[in-house]
Amino acid sequence: MKPAPFRYHRPQSLDEALALLAGLGADAKLIAGGQSLGPMMNMRLAQPAELIDLNALPGLDGIRDHPDSLEIGALACHHTVASSPVVRKCCPLLAEAAQTIGHYAIRSRGTLGGSLAHADPAAQLPLVAATLGAEIAVVGPRGERRIAAGEFFVSLMTTALEPDEILVSARFPKTAPGERHAYAQFSRRRGDFALVAVAATLSSRALRLGIGGAEDKPVLLTDTVAGGGPDPAALARKAREAVHPVEDPRVPAVYRRELVEVLTRRALQKCLSSN
Amino acid sequence: MLEFELNVNGERRAVRAEARKLLSDVLREDCRLTGTHVGCEHGVCGACTVLVDGRPSRACLIYAVQMQDHEITTIEAVAKGGKLSRLQRALHEAHGLQCGFCTAGIVMTFEAYLKENPRPSEAEVREVLSGNLCRCTGYHNIVAAILRAIDAHA
Amino acid sequence: MPMPRFRHIGARLARKEDMRFLTGHGRYVEDLEIPGALHACFVRSPHPHARIGSIRTDAARQSGGVVAVYTGLDLAQWTTPLRMAPPIEGLLPVEMTTLPIDKVRFHGDPVACVIAESRYLAEDAAERVEVAYEPLPAVAAAAQALADGAPRVDESLPSNLVSVQRFSTGDVAARKREAHRVVDCAFHQNRLTHLPIETRGCAAVWDEGRQHLTLHIGNQVPHPLRTQVAARMRLSESQVTVVSPDVGGGFGQKIALYREELTVCAASRQLGRPVRWREDRMENLLASSHAREDSCRTRAAVTKEGRLLGLELEILEDFGAYCFYPANYLARVVAMILTGPYKVRDYAFEVKVALTNKCGNGPMRAPMAITSWVIEGTMDAIARELELDPLEVRRVNMVEARELPYTMPTGEVIADITPRETLEAAVKAIDYKGFRDRQAAARRAGRYLGLGFCSVVESTTYGSKFYKAAGIPGSGHEAAWLRIEPSGAVNASVGLGASGQGYETVFAQVVADGLGVEPAQVRVQMGNTDVAPYGMGSRGARGGTAGGTALFLSARDANEKVLAIAASMLGFDSAEGLHLVDGRVERDILGERVKTDITLAQLARTAYLDPTALPAGMAPGLDFSRTYDPPPMTYSNAAHACEVEVDVETGALKILRYVVAEDCGTVLNPIVVEGQQHGAIAMGLSGALLEHMRYDEHGNNVTGSLADYLVATSADLPNFEVIAMHTPSRGNPVGTKGMAEGGVMGAVGVIMSAVNDALAPFGVVADRQPLSPDYLRALLRGA
Repeated sequence: MKPAPFRYHRPQSLDEALALLAGLGADAKLIAGGQSLGPMMNMRLAQPAELIDLNALPGLDGIRDHPDSLEIGALACHHTVASSPVVRKCCPLLAEAAQTIGHYAIRSRGTLGGSLAHADPAAQLPLVAATLGAEIAVVGPRGERRIAAGEFFVSLMTTALEPDEILVSARFPKTAPGERHAYAQFSRRRGDFALVAVAATLSSRALRLGIGGAEDKPVLLTDTVAGGGPDPAALARKAREAVHPVEDPRVPAVYRRELVEVLTRRALQKCLSSN
Repeated sequence: MLEFELNVNGERRAVRAEARKLLSDVLREDCRLTGTHVGCEHGVCGACTVLVDGRPSRACLIYAVQMQDHEITTIEAVAKGGKLSRLQRALHEAHGLQCGFCTAGIVMTFEAYLKENPRPSEAEVREVLSGNLCRCTGYHNIVAAILRAIDAHA
Repeated sequence: MPMPRFRHIGARLARKEDMRFLTGHGRYVEDLEIPGALHACFVRSPHPHARIGSIRTDAARQSGGVVAVYTGLDLAQWTTPLRMAPPIEGLLPVEMTTLPIDKVRFHGDPVACVIAESRYLAEDAAERVEVAYEPLPAVAAAAQALADGAPRVDESLPSNLVSVQRFSTGDVAARKREAHRVVDCAFHQNRLTHLPIETRGCAAVWDEGRQHLTLHIGNQVPHPLRTQVAARMRLSESQVTVVSPDVGGGFGQKIALYREELTVCAASRQLGRPVRWREDRMENLLASSHAREDSCRTRAAVTKEGRLLGLELEILEDFGAYCFYPANYLARVVAMILTGPYKVRDYAFEVKVALTNKCGNGPMRAPMAITSWVIEGTMDAIARELELDPLEVRRVNMVEARELPYTMPTGEVIADITPRETLEAAVKAIDYKGFRDRQAAARRAGRYLGLGFCSVVESTTYGSKFYKAAGIPGSGHEAAWLRIEPSGAVNASVGLGASGQGYETVFAQVVADGLGVEPAQVRVQMGNTDVAPYGMGSRGARGGTAGGTALFLSARDANEKVLAIAASMLGFDSAEGLHLVDGRVERDILGERVKTDITLAQLARTAYLDPTALPAGMAPGLDFSRTYDPPPMTYSNAAHACEVEVDVETGALKILRYVVAEDCGTVLNPIVVEGQQHGAIAMGLSGALLEHMRYDEHGNNVTGSLADYLVATSADLPNFEVIAMHTPSRGNPVGTKGMAEGGVMGAVGVIMSAVNDALAPFGVVADRQPLSPDYLRALLRGA
């Protein structure tokens, strides 16, 4: 299947990219890694008349180490995020989840910005962003905005990005001392999109539990941790009750809820047993 | 129609193609390097995997025009001066190919991976290999070949 | 019979083919450079069933780079329809036009062909072809298709029941009355597709001057294809050449002459220019060839000990909308060989095949794949109901060596097989007793392990007598030629179509042993119908036995002639005591083998360039050819065993261990045979675990990409432990038995057996594939 014709643009600066986007309007689509857009265009499910290639924009693929957070550029590919020593050390949940995205070759091209903007409800990076409370930076004609993950993911494959804005980076809080984490997903095969995924961070005082794939965007549960420590089974039941999956003949809602409960319980048990 | 230059296997190639022409098609038709195969154009089967700046990439998900200023390596460049790489030789000795259609994509993937992780476990090999579909071998001998290639180096 | 002694047959020779594939120099059909070639793209129906009102092609024709747009009416002028009407009882004749004219019958049915300067431009133009469809009600399931008043897929037939065949021997009704129990089981196999990594494609080159068509196409049966192309295009067979280059997998999908390839041929002739077509993956999924989707039901009359008294089988196959093969053909073999290695005299079957509004079925590696699952699943069910050990039930019923040859109730004769030996070897290798202990301990810990067994008796090679007896037109013979060139180089050819089986290497080994040279000296060519002799091609695991024997016999003829020349050179009356070894003549002197100075090159030079020096009456040259018709059926056997774990909380299934003990006769090249075993098992497991070609209730195909149609990756499959237990067949001189499909049969059956063993404590039985997590979960929850 070959894509429909388009005009190709390769801006050399963010300003140039923004000007193009504003000028071309609804006829234009941005491309970064192309791992999601490419198949859709090959199948002619997407037929933008104008394609704006972001890959030449300088300075958007780095990882900046701030005291309490890591700021990762939108063009950083998943392989970079997963294998970066500073991400592994300071934001291990992010590295671990990124490692499970697709396959080796997909991770070499797919980008953080692309995944966040695409907002697939089962995807790893939106889930981790929601779980960690990341902040997403976007730039547009009206300037730069920083949007908390909880507000960034609006609904199915829909974000708070305006049509004339470009996602430039995301800032992830660093893991606190003694904080534990777990990521688990359930998919048919290695590398497939998850039916359900959970991401959790557990500190001595607080639990943050993100659930992906169960609704049209990640669901976040937060809880304070009782004196005796978290009770994985009880929390898992709570997680199950908190999600309201759409009925799907192939994946009944009751099954998705069961998976949420099982994955949550197992992820929390793993959290507790890790040091 | 656009006119641009690609760097393929160390050679500069002049290309005249539409922006939408996929890298897989430009390599095969314009550069006449038919060793890169097309199996799906969905980015799933991995048969079209080439190296872009040394990183494994699905050529069917890249427009050739995006590849100016990048180095592309295809299967034809792996055996140097007619001498098979360690991995290629191991695939031959371990019968890690049958119809051969998926083979180039697997070689390119692992030529890159083994540079990054020279001593993977079998589980790691199976995990990385899971991005390349093979319908003939059942993967058993491909895995054995890759593990053999590692041992040969040690 | 002791295993014959060979020097090269049986050697683990690394493959000659590999170099070009490893270095990117293979030549698959899409790699061929054909100057001036145009590109075809098909417009396909979005509806599962619809009348074709009008087709407007003006806008498409005016599209950039477009040379022509053809429809069914055009193709009807240039080609004949396909008539599928073999004289088989219970099978209704069907006919199809090259491209549909009146109506489309499935989602993806091709209705027009755009020919343009590039595939990109052809796809652009295809979007501009306007087809006025009047949608019709569709049937999306076999049961629905057979209901009264169901819309007819083929309006020339009285209903959608295109084939029904019944058979009965003995008195099964009486056996059921006498039985201690009648065990009733169901088995539902999913709809699959072959999914070679290389999709279909071809390039047709019409030579107007010579009035000759050359069709480059990756195909398993070049000669039968040529016959078909010539007939459909009203050409003489000598006006058509089929050339099959390297093929990226076939598995049965690259056999029939489909509508697209024929359209491309006709277009080339019409335009006087080469036309090429590459099927894309969506087309391959929607519209190439599907497979399986059979439901079986058995009723087994058994004694208290689980011994079979009588057996009934019903099959219902969903054949799709078009018959590129006789509709009865695939399901019938299941019914014929169902009883496999088990003894029973009273047997009856009913096989029904229904047309539905789906892509048509074709033979997919082990078309009879469901067979072993059904009979072994029946054995497991007998064990469950009578609370017997499943292995004991198998042992009680299995034929013993002294009872061979054994005639199955359908008249099929099994000989030279070792099912008991392979079963016991698998049982031992998988440590059955140790497993039961571990299973019990695991259950106490809330983990559910399962162990399954599946014995396979694989029918291979299909001789002409089989086809005749089954009423299927066609031959099972194979043809080969061998030529020693003046320099001593050896060229050989056989009428098969390679698609990755290592023929170039394996057959070089066969010829090397037959003639007396080294495999490196032998070049085996296949695939070009002007070069290779007319053969029946590669299918039904026949290559090794049918093709190998034909080559071996040709090589023996060559050996005889060259040694007669050598004898004459040495001044002997006869060639007794002379041998050709690695291209040199040796003689027996007083019980010792002594090398002579005479090489094959010298013998060949004499034969071609000095014929007056040949023995009196001997003709010059060294050209040999033979045909070989194998016995009606050749069988190989295996026993598969596998250990699984079911995660009862999620429905996930993991294969922990996989063992197969196999007897496939003389093994031509062990590494190639092992590779075939791995590949067959993998394909069977992939189908049982993951693959599912799905249509919604309206008949729309919802599996149009590889993100929807899931195949097994390396992370889904285990290593395969293969135990070689080969004993030769007495049915052919080399002793081969054929294999390469049995692995699919065993895998399909063993995984079900293992899963049901794991689920036994829950009192549920899995009876359908794929074994998706949601299916297993639903079973466990009683949903």
